[in-house]
Amino acid sequence: MDEMAMVKESCDYLKGCIDYIPDVAVILGSGLGSLSEEVTNKNIIKYENIPHFPKSTVVGHAGQFACGDLCGKKVIMMQGRFHYYEGYDMKRVTFPVRVLKYLGVNTIIVTNAAGGVNTNFKPGDLMIIEDHINLSGNNPLIGENIDEMGPRFPDMSCAYNKELIKIAKGVAKEEKINVVSGVYCMMSGPTYETPAEVKMVRTLGGDAVGMSTVPEVIVANHQGMKVLGISCITNMASGILDQPLNHEEVIETSNKVKDKFIRLVKGIIKQM
Amino acid sequence: MGYLDMLHEANVFLKKQIKTVPDVAVILGTGLGSLSDYIENKTVIKYTDIPHFPKSTVPGHAGEFIIGNIYNKNIIAMNGRFHYYEGYSMEQVTFPVRVIKSLGVQKIIVTNASGGMNPDFKAGDLMFITDHINMMGDNPLIGKNYEEFGPRFPDMSNAYDKQFLNIGLNTAKELSIPVQKGVYVALTGPMYETPAELKMLRLIGADAVGMSTVPEVIVANHANMKVLGISCITDMAIPDNLKPLDHERVIATAEKAKNNFVSLVKGIIKNM
Repeated sequence: MDEMAMVKESCDYLKGCIDYIPDVAVILGSGLGSLSEEVTNKNIIKYENIPHFPKSTVVGHAGQFACGDLCGKKVIMMQGRFHYYEGYDMKRVTFPVRVLKYLGVNTIIVTNAAGGVNTNFKPGDLMIIEDHINLSGNNPLIGENIDEMGPRFPDMSCAYNKELIKIAKGVAKEEKINVVSGVYCMMSGPTYETPAEVKMVRTLGGDAVGMSTVPEVIVANHQGMKVLGISCITNMASGILDQPLNHEEVIETSNKVKDKFIRLVKGIIKQM
Repeated sequence: MGYLDMLHEANVFLKKQIKTVPDVAVILGTGLGSLSDYIENKTVIKYTDIPHFPKSTVPGHAGEFIIGNIYNKNIIAMNGRFHYYEGYSMEQVTFPVRVIKSLGVQKIIVTNASGGMNPDFKAGDLMFITDHINMMGDNPLIGKNYEEFGPRFPDMSNAYDKQFLNIGLNTAKELSIPVQKGVYVALTGPMYETPAELKMLRLIGADAVGMSTVPEVIVANHANMKVLGISCITDMAIPDNLKPLDHERVIATAEKAKNNFVSLVKGIIKNM
Protein backbone atom coordinates (compact mmCIF):
# COMPACT_ATOMS: atom_id res chain seq x y z
CA MET A 1 0.00 0.00 0.00
CA ASP A 2 1.39 3.45 -0.84
CA GLU A 3 2.13 6.04 1.79
CA MET A 4 -0.78 8.32 0.93
CA ALA A 5 -3.28 5.48 1.21
CA MET A 6 -1.87 4.52 4.61
CA VAL A 7 -2.04 8.13 5.80
CA LYS A 8 -5.68 8.29 4.72
CA GLU A 9 -6.61 5.10 6.56
CA SER A 10 -4.89 6.22 9.76
CA CYS A 11 -6.58 9.57 9.48
CA ASP A 12 -10.00 7.99 8.96
CA TYR A 13 -9.49 6.05 12.18
CA LEU A 14 -8.64 9.24 14.10
CA LYS A 15 -11.66 11.01 12.62
CA GLY A 16 -13.79 8.24 14.04
CA CYS A 17 -12.41 8.99 17.52
CA ILE A 18 -12.66 12.80 17.60
CA ASP A 19 -15.26 15.06 16.01
CA TYR A 20 -13.13 18.20 15.71
CA ILE A 21 -10.01 19.38 13.94
CA PRO A 22 -7.34 20.11 16.55
CA ASP A 23 -5.92 23.65 16.50
CA VAL A 24 -2.48 22.45 17.43
CA ALA A 25 -0.49 19.23 17.75
CA VAL A 26 2.19 18.73 20.39
CA ILE A 27 4.87 16.02 20.20
CA LEU A 28 5.98 15.31 23.75
CA GLY A 29 9.66 14.44 24.21
CA SER A 30 11.31 12.04 26.69
CA GLY A 31 10.02 12.68 30.20
CA LEU A 32 7.72 15.52 29.08
CA GLY A 33 4.56 13.42 28.71
CA SER A 34 2.95 14.87 31.82
CA LEU A 35 1.65 17.86 29.86
CA SER A 36 -1.07 15.54 28.61
CA GLU A 37 -2.47 15.34 32.17
CA GLU A 38 -3.57 18.97 31.78
CA VAL A 39 -5.85 18.13 28.86
CA THR A 40 -9.59 18.05 29.67
CA ASN A 41 -12.41 16.22 27.89
CA LYS A 42 -9.68 13.82 27.04
CA ASN A 43 -9.77 11.14 24.39
CA ILE A 44 -6.92 8.64 24.43
CA ILE A 45 -6.10 6.92 21.15
CA LYS A 46 -3.52 4.15 21.41
CA TYR A 47 -1.06 3.96 18.54
CA GLU A 48 -1.47 0.20 18.49
CA ASN A 49 -5.11 0.63 17.49
CA ILE A 50 -4.37 2.99 14.61
CA PRO A 51 -3.92 1.31 11.23
CA HIS A 52 -0.30 1.47 9.95
CA PHE A 53 1.15 3.04 13.11
CA PRO A 54 4.50 1.68 14.33
CA LYS A 55 4.94 0.89 18.04
CA SER A 56 7.10 2.88 20.47
CA THR A 57 9.85 0.86 22.16
CA VAL A 58 11.57 3.34 24.50
CA VAL A 59 11.17 3.39 28.27
CA GLY A 60 9.49 6.68 29.28
CA HIS A 61 7.46 6.90 26.09
CA ALA A 62 3.81 5.94 26.24
CA GLY A 63 2.59 5.44 22.68
CA GLN A 64 -0.73 7.23 22.38
CA PHE A 65 -2.49 10.37 21.24
CA ALA A 66 -4.18 12.44 23.95
CA CYS A 67 -6.82 14.71 22.41
CA GLY A 68 -9.03 17.29 24.09
CA ASP A 69 -9.13 20.85 25.41
CA LEU A 70 -6.27 22.93 26.74
CA CYS A 71 -6.37 26.68 27.38
CA GLY A 72 -9.37 27.20 25.12
CA LYS A 73 -7.88 25.28 22.19
CA LYS A 74 -8.43 21.83 20.76
CA VAL A 75 -5.17 19.93 21.05
CA ILE A 76 -3.80 16.58 19.97
CA MET A 77 -0.73 15.40 21.83
CA MET A 78 1.65 12.63 20.86
CA GLN A 79 2.77 10.82 23.98
CA GLY A 80 5.63 8.79 22.59
CA ARG A 81 7.26 9.18 19.21
CA PHE A 82 9.16 6.95 16.82
CA HIS A 83 12.91 7.36 16.76
CA TYR A 84 15.28 6.65 13.92
CA TYR A 85 17.64 4.87 16.32
CA GLU A 86 14.90 2.36 17.11
CA GLY A 87 15.35 1.07 13.59
CA TYR A 88 12.32 2.70 11.95
CA ASP A 89 12.99 4.18 8.56
CA MET A 90 12.52 7.92 8.21
CA LYS A 91 9.10 7.46 6.57
CA ARG A 92 7.85 5.56 9.64
CA VAL A 93 9.41 8.10 12.03
CA THR A 94 7.48 10.91 10.35
CA PHE A 95 4.30 9.03 9.54
CA PRO A 96 2.35 10.55 12.47
CA VAL A 97 3.15 14.06 11.24
CA ARG A 98 1.72 13.15 7.84
CA VAL A 99 -1.44 11.89 9.52
CA LEU A 100 -1.78 15.01 11.69
CA LYS A 101 -1.58 17.26 8.66
CA TYR A 102 -4.10 15.17 6.78
CA LEU A 103 -6.40 15.48 9.79
CA GLY A 104 -6.26 19.24 9.22
CA VAL A 105 -3.74 20.28 11.85
CA ASN A 106 -1.64 23.23 10.66
CA THR A 107 0.44 24.06 13.72
CA ILE A 108 2.76 21.73 15.59
CA ILE A 109 4.86 22.12 18.72
CA VAL A 110 7.74 19.64 18.72
CA THR A 111 9.53 19.03 22.01
CA ASN A 112 12.50 16.91 23.03
CA ALA A 113 15.14 16.21 25.64
CA ALA A 114 18.55 17.34 24.43
CA GLY A 115 22.14 17.63 25.57
CA GLY A 116 23.48 21.14 26.05
CA VAL A 117 26.38 21.93 23.73
CA ASN A 118 26.46 25.69 24.35
CA THR A 119 28.50 26.06 27.54
CA ASN A 120 26.29 28.94 28.68
CA PHE A 121 23.42 26.47 29.08
CA LYS A 122 22.76 24.42 32.16
CA PRO A 123 20.72 21.27 32.79
CA GLY A 124 17.08 22.19 33.29
CA ASP A 125 17.12 25.05 30.79
CA LEU A 126 14.38 25.23 28.18
CA MET A 127 15.61 26.14 24.71
CA ILE A 128 13.43 27.61 21.98
CA ILE A 129 14.73 26.04 18.76
CA GLU A 130 15.56 28.73 16.19
CA ASP A 131 17.00 26.41 13.56
CA HIS A 132 18.39 22.93 13.15
CA ILE A 133 21.29 21.00 11.59
CA ASN A 134 20.54 17.56 10.21
CA LEU A 135 23.49 15.27 10.98
CA SER A 136 21.37 12.13 11.10
CA GLY A 137 22.79 10.97 7.78
CA ASN A 138 19.32 10.61 6.30
CA ASN A 139 16.26 12.62 5.26
CA PRO A 140 12.59 11.61 5.42
CA LEU A 141 11.90 13.12 1.99
CA ILE A 142 14.37 10.91 0.12
CA GLY A 143 12.37 8.95 -2.41
CA GLU A 144 9.49 9.73 -4.68
CA ASN A 145 7.87 13.06 -3.86
CA ILE A 146 4.14 12.96 -3.27
CA ASP A 147 3.14 16.31 -4.75
CA GLU A 148 -0.16 16.51 -2.91
CA MET A 149 1.83 16.49 0.35
CA GLY A 150 4.35 19.17 -0.61
CA PRO A 151 7.04 20.32 -3.05
CA ARG A 152 10.01 18.25 -4.27
CA PHE A 153 12.46 20.80 -2.84
CA PRO A 154 10.98 22.33 0.30
CA ASP A 155 12.35 25.63 1.56
CA MET A 156 13.84 25.38 5.05
CA SER A 157 14.75 29.02 5.58
CA CYS A 158 12.06 29.47 8.23
CA ALA A 159 11.70 25.89 9.43
CA TYR A 160 10.85 27.17 12.90
CA ASN A 161 8.10 29.77 12.56
CA LYS A 162 9.26 33.24 13.62
CA GLU A 163 5.79 34.29 14.78
CA LEU A 164 5.55 31.27 17.09
CA ILE A 165 9.07 31.90 18.42
CA LYS A 166 8.02 35.44 19.26
CA ILE A 167 4.92 34.21 21.07
CA ALA A 168 7.00 31.65 22.99
CA LYS A 169 9.54 34.23 24.09
CA GLY A 170 6.72 36.62 25.09
CA VAL A 171 5.06 33.94 27.22
CA ALA A 172 8.38 33.07 28.85
CA LYS A 173 8.83 36.72 29.80
CA GLU A 174 5.29 37.08 31.16
CA GLU A 175 5.54 33.86 33.13
CA LYS A 176 9.07 34.71 34.30
CA ILE A 177 10.42 31.46 32.87
CA ASN A 178 14.05 31.63 31.88
CA VAL A 179 14.47 30.38 28.34
CA VAL A 180 17.46 30.21 26.04
CA SER A 181 17.35 29.88 22.29
CA GLY A 182 19.56 28.15 19.79
CA VAL A 183 20.27 25.61 17.08
CA TYR A 184 19.31 21.96 17.57
CA CYS A 185 21.60 19.41 15.98
CA MET A 186 20.35 15.89 15.34
CA MET A 187 22.63 12.85 15.35
CA SER A 188 21.21 9.38 14.84
CA GLY A 189 22.24 7.92 18.19
CA PRO A 190 21.55 5.67 20.03
CA THR A 191 25.07 6.16 21.37
CA TYR A 192 25.48 9.42 23.20
CA GLU A 193 27.96 11.65 21.40
CA THR A 194 31.69 11.41 22.04
CA PRO A 195 33.40 14.56 23.38
CA ALA A 196 34.99 15.02 19.93
CA GLU A 197 31.55 14.90 18.29
CA VAL A 198 30.21 17.48 20.73
CA LYS A 199 33.11 19.81 19.87
CA MET A 200 32.30 19.29 16.19
CA VAL A 201 28.65 20.18 16.78
CA ARG A 202 29.73 23.36 18.57
CA THR A 203 32.09 24.27 15.71
CA LEU A 204 29.27 23.77 13.23
CA GLY A 205 26.96 26.07 15.19
CA GLY A 206 24.90 23.67 17.28
CA ASP A 207 23.71 24.71 20.75
CA ALA A 208 22.00 21.46 21.67
CA VAL A 209 22.26 17.89 20.40
CA GLY A 210 19.65 15.14 20.34
CA MET A 211 18.27 12.14 18.48
CA SER A 212 14.84 13.28 17.29
CA THR A 213 12.76 16.26 16.07
CA VAL A 214 14.57 17.05 12.81
CA PRO A 215 12.77 14.39 10.68
CA GLU A 216 9.37 15.50 12.01
CA VAL A 217 10.18 19.16 11.43
CA ILE A 218 11.34 18.45 7.88
CA VAL A 219 8.07 16.68 7.10
CA ALA A 220 5.99 19.35 8.84
CA ASN A 221 7.69 21.98 6.68
CA HIS A 222 7.22 19.88 3.57
CA GLN A 223 3.51 20.03 4.29
CA GLY A 224 3.47 23.75 5.04
CA MET A 225 2.79 23.37 8.77
CA LYS A 226 3.88 26.02 11.25
CA VAL A 227 6.45 24.61 13.66
CA LEU A 228 7.57 25.59 17.13
CA GLY A 229 10.41 23.60 18.70
CA ILE A 230 11.30 23.41 22.39
CA SER A 231 14.25 21.46 23.80
CA CYS A 232 14.58 20.59 27.44
CA ILE A 233 18.31 20.63 28.19
CA THR A 234 18.45 17.57 30.41
CA ASN A 235 22.21 17.24 30.66
CA MET A 236 25.37 18.82 29.39
CA ALA A 237 26.62 16.94 26.34
CA SER A 238 29.60 14.61 26.56
CA GLY A 239 32.98 16.05 27.49
CA ILE A 240 31.70 19.29 29.03
CA LEU A 241 31.44 17.88 32.54
CA ASP A 242 33.75 15.07 33.60
CA GLN A 243 31.03 12.45 34.03
CA PRO A 244 29.37 9.71 32.00
CA LEU A 245 25.87 10.18 30.59
CA ASN A 246 22.85 8.01 31.26
CA HIS A 247 19.20 7.94 30.31
CA GLU A 248 18.03 8.06 33.95
CA GLU A 249 19.64 11.48 34.31
CA VAL A 250 17.72 12.66 31.26
CA ILE A 251 14.40 11.51 32.70
CA GLU A 252 15.24 12.91 36.14
CA THR A 253 16.00 16.40 34.83
CA SER A 254 12.96 16.52 32.61
CA ASN A 255 10.87 15.59 35.68
CA LYS A 256 12.37 18.55 37.55
CA VAL A 257 11.58 21.06 34.81
CA LYS A 258 8.17 19.73 33.88
CA ASP A 259 6.29 22.43 35.83
CA LYS A 260 7.88 25.31 33.94
CA PHE A 261 7.69 23.35 30.68
CA ILE A 262 3.94 22.87 31.21
CA ARG A 263 3.42 26.55 32.09
CA LEU A 264 5.35 27.62 29.00
CA VAL A 265 3.53 25.38 26.55
CA LYS A 266 0.12 26.16 28.05
CA GLY A 267 0.84 29.88 27.81
CA ILE A 268 1.89 29.50 24.19
CA ILE A 269 -1.20 27.50 23.25
CA LYS A 270 -3.41 30.11 24.92
CA GLN A 271 -1.87 32.95 22.92
CA MET A 272 -1.67 31.18 19.59
CA MET B 1 17.68 -16.93 11.99
CA GLY B 2 17.79 -14.24 14.69
CA TYR B 3 20.91 -12.28 15.61
CA LEU B 4 21.23 -13.89 19.05
CA ASP B 5 21.04 -17.39 17.56
CA MET B 6 23.68 -16.55 14.96
CA LEU B 7 25.91 -15.18 17.67
CA HIS B 8 25.35 -18.26 19.78
CA GLU B 9 26.31 -20.62 16.95
CA ALA B 10 29.50 -18.68 16.18
CA ASN B 11 30.32 -18.68 19.90
CA VAL B 12 29.79 -22.44 20.26
CA PHE B 13 32.00 -23.11 17.23
CA LEU B 14 34.87 -20.97 18.56
CA LYS B 15 34.64 -22.21 22.14
CA LYS B 16 35.34 -25.72 20.95
CA GLN B 17 38.74 -24.53 19.70
CA ILE B 18 39.65 -21.95 22.33
CA LYS B 19 40.56 -23.48 25.66
CA THR B 20 41.30 -20.29 27.66
CA VAL B 21 39.49 -16.96 27.64
CA PRO B 22 41.80 -14.53 25.79
CA ASP B 23 43.12 -11.62 27.88
CA VAL B 24 42.85 -9.27 24.94
CA ALA B 25 41.61 -9.10 21.36
CA VAL B 26 43.49 -7.24 18.62
CA ILE B 27 41.87 -6.15 15.36
CA LEU B 28 44.65 -5.84 12.81
CA GLY B 29 44.24 -3.04 10.29
CA THR B 30 45.31 -2.86 6.64
CA GLY B 31 48.94 -3.94 6.27
CA LEU B 32 49.35 -4.58 10.01
CA GLY B 33 48.67 -8.31 9.89
CA SER B 34 52.32 -9.16 10.53
CA LEU B 35 51.76 -9.00 14.29
CA SER B 36 50.30 -12.45 13.87
CA ASP B 37 53.80 -13.77 12.98
CA TYR B 38 54.76 -13.17 16.61
CA ILE B 39 51.95 -15.18 18.11
CA GLU B 40 53.08 -18.46 19.65
CA ASN B 41 51.18 -21.72 20.12
CA LYS B 42 48.99 -20.60 17.27
CA THR B 43 45.53 -21.79 16.36
CA VAL B 44 44.22 -20.32 13.12
CA ILE B 45 40.49 -20.24 12.50
CA LYS B 46 39.33 -19.14 9.07
CA TYR B 47 36.32 -16.82 9.05
CA THR B 48 34.88 -18.95 6.27
CA ASP B 49 34.62 -21.87 8.73
CA ILE B 50 32.80 -19.88 11.42
CA PRO B 51 29.01 -20.01 11.22
CA HIS B 52 27.44 -16.69 10.10
CA PHE B 53 30.74 -14.88 9.57
CA PRO B 54 30.84 -12.58 6.54
CA LYS B 55 33.78 -12.94 4.11
CA SER B 56 36.62 -10.43 3.82
CA THR B 57 37.04 -9.06 0.28
CA VAL B 58 39.95 -6.57 0.52
CA PRO B 59 43.46 -7.35 -0.75
CA GLY B 60 45.87 -7.23 2.22
CA HIS B 61 43.27 -8.63 4.58
CA ALA B 62 43.46 -12.31 5.37
CA GLY B 63 40.20 -13.29 7.05
CA GLU B 64 41.11 -15.38 10.04
CA PHE B 65 41.30 -15.42 13.80
CA ILE B 66 44.72 -16.24 15.22
CA ILE B 67 44.62 -17.44 18.78
CA GLY B 68 47.74 -17.98 20.88
CA ASN B 69 50.26 -16.30 23.14
CA ILE B 70 52.29 -13.13 23.10
CA TYR B 71 54.56 -13.12 26.15
CA ASN B 72 52.44 -14.63 28.91
CA LYS B 73 49.10 -13.35 27.61
CA ASN B 74 46.41 -15.20 25.71
CA ILE B 75 45.37 -13.23 22.70
CA ILE B 76 42.88 -13.46 19.89
CA ALA B 77 43.85 -11.49 16.79
CA MET B 78 41.54 -10.64 13.92
CA ASN B 79 43.56 -10.74 10.75
CA GLY B 80 41.11 -9.08 8.36
CA ARG B 81 37.98 -7.16 9.25
CA PHE B 82 34.68 -6.32 7.60
CA HIS B 83 34.25 -2.83 6.25
CA TYR B 84 31.05 -0.89 5.78
CA TYR B 85 32.21 0.15 2.29
CA GLU B 86 32.29 -3.48 1.23
CA GLY B 87 28.52 -3.42 1.51
CA TYR B 88 28.13 -5.21 4.83
CA SER B 89 25.51 -3.88 7.19
CA MET B 90 26.74 -2.28 10.41
CA GLU B 91 25.48 -5.36 12.23
CA GLN B 92 27.74 -7.58 10.10
CA VAL B 93 30.70 -5.23 10.41
CA THR B 94 30.52 -5.47 14.19
CA PHE B 95 29.49 -9.12 14.45
CA PRO B 96 33.06 -10.28 15.23
CA VAL B 97 33.24 -7.88 18.20
CA ARG B 98 30.03 -9.38 19.58
CA VAL B 99 31.49 -12.84 19.09
CA ILE B 100 34.76 -11.87 20.80
CA LYS B 101 32.88 -10.40 23.75
CA SER B 102 30.76 -13.56 23.99
CA LEU B 103 33.99 -15.51 24.56
CA GLY B 104 34.54 -13.47 27.71
CA VAL B 105 37.12 -11.04 26.30
CA GLN B 106 36.99 -7.69 28.12
CA LYS B 107 39.73 -5.71 26.36
CA ILE B 108 40.26 -4.91 22.72
CA ILE B 109 42.99 -3.15 20.75
CA VAL B 110 41.60 -1.78 17.49
CA THR B 111 44.10 -0.77 14.82
CA ASN B 112 43.81 0.76 11.37
CA ALA B 113 45.62 2.50 8.54
CA SER B 114 44.55 6.11 8.23
CA GLY B 115 45.30 9.43 6.60
CA GLY B 116 47.07 11.99 8.75
CA MET B 117 45.33 15.37 8.96
CA ASN B 118 47.26 17.00 11.75
CA PRO B 119 50.13 18.95 10.12
CA ASP B 120 52.45 17.82 12.92
CA PHE B 121 52.10 14.21 11.77
CA LYS B 122 54.03 12.44 9.03
CA ALA B 123 53.49 9.26 7.06
CA GLY B 124 54.63 6.28 9.10
CA ASP B 125 53.62 7.78 12.47
CA LEU B 126 51.62 5.74 14.94
CA MET B 127 48.73 7.61 16.57
CA PHE B 128 46.91 6.63 19.73
CA ILE B 129 43.22 7.40 19.22
CA THR B 130 41.95 9.62 22.05
CA ASP B 131 38.43 10.00 20.66
CA HIS B 132 36.46 9.62 17.45
CA ILE B 133 33.88 11.35 15.28
CA ASN B 134 31.38 9.15 13.49
CA MET B 135 30.73 10.66 10.05
CA MET B 136 29.59 7.38 8.50
CA GLY B 137 25.93 8.37 8.50
CA ASP B 138 25.03 5.12 10.24
CA ASN B 139 25.39 3.51 13.66
CA PRO B 140 25.63 -0.21 14.48
CA LEU B 141 23.23 0.18 17.40
CA ILE B 142 20.30 1.52 15.37
CA GLY B 143 17.46 -0.93 15.78
CA LYS B 144 16.25 -3.09 18.63
CA ASN B 145 18.47 -2.91 21.69
CA TYR B 146 19.57 -6.18 23.25
CA GLU B 147 19.61 -5.38 26.96
CA GLU B 148 21.82 -8.41 27.58
CA PHE B 149 24.53 -6.71 25.49
CA GLY B 150 24.32 -3.21 26.91
CA PRO B 151 22.18 -0.10 27.50
CA ARG B 152 19.86 1.56 24.96
CA PHE B 153 21.87 4.80 25.14
CA PRO B 154 25.54 3.96 25.73
CA ASP B 155 27.79 6.64 27.15
CA MET B 156 30.73 7.43 24.86
CA SER B 157 32.60 9.90 27.06
CA ASN B 158 35.44 7.41 27.68
CA ALA B 159 35.17 5.41 24.45
CA TYR B 160 38.96 5.01 24.34
CA ASP B 161 39.76 3.96 27.88
CA LYS B 162 42.06 6.47 29.58
CA GLN B 163 43.86 3.84 31.66
CA PHE B 164 44.44 1.63 28.65
CA LEU B 165 45.72 4.69 26.77
CA ASN B 166 48.17 5.42 29.59
CA ILE B 167 49.55 1.89 29.35
CA GLY B 168 50.01 2.52 25.62
CA LEU B 169 51.76 5.85 26.15
CA ASN B 170 54.05 4.47 28.85
CA THR B 171 54.96 1.48 26.69
CA ALA B 172 55.84 3.78 23.77
CA LYS B 173 58.08 5.80 26.08
CA GLU B 174 59.74 2.69 27.50
CA LEU B 175 60.48 1.42 23.98
CA SER B 176 61.44 4.89 22.65
CA ILE B 177 58.82 4.63 19.90
CA PRO B 178 57.59 8.09 18.90
CA VAL B 179 53.78 8.28 18.94
CA GLN B 180 51.10 10.86 18.28
CA LYS B 181 47.68 11.27 19.89
CA GLY B 182 44.52 12.45 18.23
CA VAL B 183 40.93 12.24 17.06
CA TYR B 184 40.02 9.65 14.40
CA VAL B 185 37.18 10.47 12.03
CA ALA B 186 35.44 7.64 10.19
CA LEU B 187 33.82 8.17 6.78
CA THR B 188 32.21 5.42 4.76
CA GLY B 189 34.65 5.48 1.87
CA PRO B 190 35.47 3.68 -0.34
CA MET B 191 36.72 6.72 -2.24
CA TYR B 192 39.43 8.73 -0.55
CA GLU B 193 38.42 12.19 0.62
CA THR B 194 38.33 15.25 -1.62
CA PRO B 195 40.44 18.27 -0.61
CA ALA B 196 37.22 20.11 0.31
CA GLU B 197 36.16 17.20 2.52
CA LEU B 198 39.57 17.16 4.18
CA LYS B 199 39.31 20.88 4.95
CA MET B 200 35.91 20.28 6.51
CA LEU B 201 37.23 17.36 8.55
CA ARG B 202 40.14 19.39 9.85
CA LEU B 203 37.68 22.14 10.79
CA ILE B 204 35.57 19.76 12.86
CA GLY B 205 38.57 18.42 14.76
CA ALA B 206 40.04 15.49 12.83
CA ASP B 207 43.65 14.43 13.32
CA ALA B 208 43.32 11.28 11.24
CA VAL B 209 40.72 9.99 8.81
CA GLY B 210 39.77 6.46 7.84
CA MET B 211 37.01 4.03 6.92
CA SER B 212 36.83 1.63 9.83
CA THR B 213 37.20 1.29 13.61
CA VAL B 214 34.31 3.51 14.75
CA PRO B 215 31.56 0.86 14.36
CA GLU B 216 33.66 -1.72 16.24
CA VAL B 217 34.49 0.76 19.00
CA ILE B 218 30.82 1.72 19.40
CA VAL B 219 29.84 -1.93 19.82
CA ALA B 220 32.79 -2.63 22.14
CA ASN B 221 31.66 0.28 24.33
CA HIS B 222 28.07 -0.92 24.23
CA ALA B 223 29.39 -4.28 25.44
CA ASN B 224 31.37 -2.51 28.20
CA MET B 225 34.78 -3.55 26.81
CA LYS B 226 37.91 -1.48 27.40
CA VAL B 227 39.20 -0.12 24.09
CA LEU B 228 42.61 1.01 22.93
CA GLY B 229 42.84 2.45 19.40
CA ILE B 230 46.01 2.79 17.31
CA SER B 231 46.14 4.37 13.85
CA CYS B 232 49.06 3.85 11.53
CA ILE B 233 49.34 7.09 9.54
CA THR B 234 50.07 5.65 6.11
CA ASP B 235 49.77 8.89 4.14
CA MET B 236 49.28 12.56 4.82
CA ALA B 237 45.88 13.98 3.92
CA ILE B 238 46.67 17.71 3.98
CA PRO B 239 44.22 19.42 1.62
CA ASP B 240 46.66 21.93 0.08
CA ASN B 241 49.39 19.38 -0.49
CA LEU B 242 47.67 16.27 -1.80
CA LYS B 243 49.36 13.63 -3.89
CA PRO B 244 47.20 11.15 -5.74
CA LEU B 245 46.57 8.19 -3.46
CA ASP B 246 46.80 4.58 -4.20
CA HIS B 247 46.23 1.52 -2.12
CA GLU B 248 49.71 0.12 -2.93
CA ARG B 249 51.38 3.17 -1.36
CA VAL B 250 49.22 2.83 1.75
CA ILE B 251 50.37 -0.77 2.13
CA ALA B 252 54.02 0.17 1.43
CA THR B 253 54.04 2.78 4.23
CA ALA B 254 52.30 0.44 6.62
CA GLU B 255 55.04 -2.06 5.78
CA LYS B 256 57.69 0.45 6.92
CA ALA B 257 55.82 1.36 10.10
CA LYS B 258 55.09 -2.22 10.98
CA ASN B 259 58.26 -2.83 12.98
CA ASN B 260 57.35 -0.02 15.35
CA PHE B 261 53.76 -1.15 15.35
CA VAL B 262 54.61 -4.75 16.21
CA SER B 263 57.02 -3.73 19.00
CA LEU B 264 54.49 -1.30 20.43
CA VAL B 265 51.55 -3.70 20.48
CA LYS B 266 53.68 -6.53 21.87
CA GLY B 267 54.93 -4.17 24.59
CA ILE B 268 51.41 -3.05 25.45
CA ILE B 269 50.23 -6.66 25.72
CA LYS B 270 53.17 -7.43 28.01
CA ASN B 271 52.43 -4.39 30.22
CA MET B 272 48.67 -4.91 30.41
